[in-house]
Amino acid sequence: MTGLPLRLRLHRAFLIALILGLWAPAKIVWELRIAHAQDRLRYQGVTLTRQLRDQLGQGLTIGVLSGMRSVVADFVWLEVTVAWENEEWFRMGGLINLCTALQPRSITFWDMGGWQLAWNASVAATKDLSLPNQLRREKASRFWIERGLAIYKRGIENNPENWRLWADTGSLYEQRLGDYRTAAYYFGEAAKRPNCPTFYERFPAIMYGYGDDDRASYEAWKALWERLTPAQRAEPRHESDRIEQEIKRLEQKLSIPKEKRVFPN
Amino acid sequence: MIASLYRIIVIGRNTLTEAVRQKVLSVLLIFALVLVASSVLVSQLATPGLDAAGLIDEQIKFVKDFGCGAIGLFGFAIALLSTAQLIPQELHNRTIYTILAKPVRRSEFLLGKFLGVVLLVALAVALMSTAFGLSLYWEEVKGVAYADSVYGGMAPHFPQVVDKVRQYEAEAAQVQAHGGDSAAQTQEMRALDEKYRLQETNWEGCKNVVEDYDRDVGRIQGQIRDPQLIEAVLLIFAKLIMTTGIALLISTFATSSIFTIVTTFMIYLIGHLESVARDVWFQRGAEVSIWQSGLLGFLSLLIPDMNSFTIVDEILAGNHVPWSHALNLLGYANVYLVVLLALSIVIFDYREI
Repeated sequence: MTGLPLRLRLHRAFLIALILGLWAPAKIVWELRIAHAQDRLRYQGVTLTRQLRDQLGQGLTIGVLSGMRSVVADFVWLEVTVAWENEEWFRMGGLINLCTALQPRSITFWDMGGWQLAWNASVAATKDLSLPNQLRREKASRFWIERGLAIYKRGIENNPENWRLWADTGSLYEQRLGDYRTAAYYFGEAAKRPNCPTFYERFPAIMYGYGDDDRASYEAWKALWERLTPAQRAEPRHESDRIEQEIKRLEQKLSIPKEKRVFPN
Repeated sequence: MIASLYRIIVIGRNTLTEAVRQKVLSVLLIFALVLVASSVLVSQLATPGLDAAGLIDEQIKFVKDFGCGAIGLFGFAIALLSTAQLIPQELHNRTIYTILAKPVRRSEFLLGKFLGVVLLVALAVALMSTAFGLSLYWEEVKGVAYADSVYGGMAPHFPQVVDKVRQYEAEAAQVQAHGGDSAAQTQEMRALDEKYRLQETNWEGCKNVVEDYDRDVGRIQGQIRDPQLIEAVLLIFAKLIMTTGIALLISTFATSSIFTIVTTFMIYLIGHLESVARDVWFQRGAEVSIWQSGLLGFLSLLIPDMNSFTIVDEILAGNHVPWSHALNLLGYANVYLVVLLALSIVIFDYREI
């Protein structure tokens, strides 16, 4: 190589510079377009920050840098299971945050993470005899429910089109907080999302019923009945018989005037 | 032109044969196949105590992530090791002199060598993908069996219940296929329901449990038979071929295989941070000095954006990635490859051997 004449060296350098000079600007423009498309499609993911690197440790950071983000997230998730088995709730909470930061578009992490915190950790807190009294246990339980709720809500922010996280949040409000009105809202939102099981469309009305808000329940059943087309009403999965029965029952109970009833007879 | 193409193919075929005979690559491939297949075992570590659908979701995610991770990791190792040896080995064995003494251009030699490695990587990816497919199939069988056991435990005589609901669904479909006005159809459906209600005491419960079962099985099959997984494997392959191109370029001026391996690995890692470098370069805030900006700009202009290919994670997480976007990435990889090959040819053409 050392013996290559200067003329040939210059010729080679010129050709390399020419190829790179032509390609480099086009490369940058192309990459920006790809990045823009990925932002638009919500695939931006997270940037490896110092905090994330410290939490992951050296080995897993190299994994992330090698494009093995999902595998690294799975390894961290296995640690979540271990922390759950050992009842190390704060550690588990931190690891769940780490998994969701690594893969914010993986529904499983949000779904299971919220469940681990709002159900497992909070139920364990109610049985924690190391706490001095029942009030403190209830407070601790509430703390974990709020953490679980925060996970679900951040999951929704990252994946607003996914029905499961809306339904999970609805279940949490219903089963853990007893807030049926808010549960009705979340179940209603879940039902609007693609691929959501049909029965969720009935949940808002049922939730209002649980909350003894018969008027809201009636309005929800009525809105559902009116939303269904005649063809949909004939489909068994929509359970139109049940909707009809509920509307009739509530019309009776609320003494709705005949002319305003959906089923006057 | 055809003669040139023929020479490239012949060199490529020989390179592939030589590579297949190498024990290191065979051992790597065996490890890869074992790892892909063992992803099924790793999935057993998923959180126990969940509902059937949740547990299976987690297991399927593990199998997909570990399977594709293994394809990427071992594919990278195979691509890198085989490319790094291409030119140094020819020089060491002095076989390059015999080949280039014949009417074979250096560019043909280089392209032939590259073709051989591409075929090798394609073969390895195809084998690993087959193992991955089998792992997924096994996961599906396991998942459906698990759903059967869960629902079987919930409803006594579950198989008979399923048969009855299927019979009902067939009759309901016939009623709906007849058409007619919706009121008459509703009446017919009610009559049909009544008929089955008389045969089965908890008919609504039966229908619900079968609906839940179908939904869970559909969810399992939907995740496993996801056609987007083909997109994921293609994107992994494109990334591997880009890595091969980089390694080939470095090996045209490198004096040892180790240098090629280490440098390519570093470029691969930097490639995953190229988007960050590009963003900082474009922002050029007060906190970035002119030297830092210059370095980041230099890296952004030269290093490929490997991070864009992590979109594979989105596919594995079950998110929809349009084919148009995947094709855009594949196009980017191909054009980048052409540039890398052009540079390799220029450098190799002028290299003193």
